[in-house]
Amino acid sequence: AGSACVRGLLGWARPERWLPSSTVSPLSCIHTSSSLPTVGKWEKKNRIVYPPQLPGEPRRPAEIYHCRREIKYSKDKMWYLAKLIKGMSIDQALAQLEFSDKKGAKVIKEVLLEAQEMAVRNHNVEFKSNLHIAQSLTGRGRYMKRIRYHGKGMYGIMKIVRCHYFVKLVEGPPPPPEPQKTGYDQAKEYVQQLRSRTLINTL
Amino acid sequence: LVVVLSPLPRLRGLLQRCWGRLERGLLSGLFGSQSPPLGPALAVQAPVCLPQQVNDTGESSEAPSLLDSILWMAAPKKRRTIEVNRCRRRNPRNLIKVKTNIDVCPECGNLKQKHVLCGYCYAKVKAETRLIRMEIGKKEGGPLNAPPVETVVLYDGEKPTEKDEGKRIIERARKRPSWFVQD
Repeated sequence: AGSACVRGLLGWARPERWLPSSTVSPLSCIHTSSSLPTVGKWEKKNRIVYPPQLPGEPRRPAEIYHCRREIKYSKDKMWYLAKLIKGMSIDQALAQLEFSDKKGAKVIKEVLLEAQEMAVRNHNVEFKSNLHIAQSLTGRGRYMKRIRYHGKGMYGIMKIVRCHYFVKLVEGPPPPPEPQKTGYDQAKEYVQQLRSRTLINTL
Repeated sequence: LVVVLSPLPRLRGLLQRCWGRLERGLLSGLFGSQSPPLGPALAVQAPVCLPQQVNDTGESSEAPSLLDSILWMAAPKKRRTIEVNRCRRRNPRNLIKVKTNIDVCPECGNLKQKHVLCGYCYAKVKAETRLIRMEIGKKEGGPLNAPPVETVVLYDGEKPTEKDEGKRIIERARKRPSWFVQD
């Protein structure tokens, strides 16, 4: 029980988070918030190495996975921004986020700029504008429960919410948006489905 | 009563159980005909006391009092399913619209909205204005010392012309910026 208590305490306290990333002392290279106890699945996606392509194959576009964990924002509110920039080119996404009034827009803009920088430096992307956003997702971070004090001695329990944000950039121009399904198309499909029915177990 | 939730989960569980026991103790004992017992303010739609009591107190004489009107308050009848919630949250009315009024500033090349000044150029001008104001402050020496004449800002190597005869001159020790045109 004592060891479990201590592990719980360490899991909460995380002393490496208290110091900023750029500590001055040259002797002690203190690992700060960049090295978490478990590496997330999204970060591991950058490590996959494909076998070399055959001469005839079309060039595989570069994919860059980036994320930011434990953002102090709600995942539902962040989702609206993630939905906004899904499928856009990176320049357009940055423009939209710059003039959005939401708190998460600033965070996502930083993430996108970091990912763009990573792409050019590590992932052999030639033009930093030639990227588009293939996937952008939000996830729930760790919630904390606190007491919210009401009048007359009443209380409620409030959740302090945090979220993660994941983005996948792919090299190349953004794919053209698929045409909206009209009512006529849906009706045609329905009629086609009716026509293609057959009678089973008969001649 | 201040209940503090410490990060250790076992202590939190213990505190929650203590609080529950306290609540149950309060409820069981004293509050029969008195005011509704104090508890978490999570769902207060109707008074906790029995409806017979309301009928006894407010039936004959007066018009619908406060106790009656509490029972008519709106409350959700059924839990909203996640499908209904998703339909409301994701319909195009609630999504963020794509802005089409973003352009490129011809001066600095940053992005700007069409009807708004460019943020970068504005910050640049603001910084320079702040330095000019500091110079003015140094010249005046205190508040409420502004002379009743016009002010002219001169940069390195500029002489006051005959137009600037009666004006107050502020010197700035740098080259004239390209955007600050001299008359």
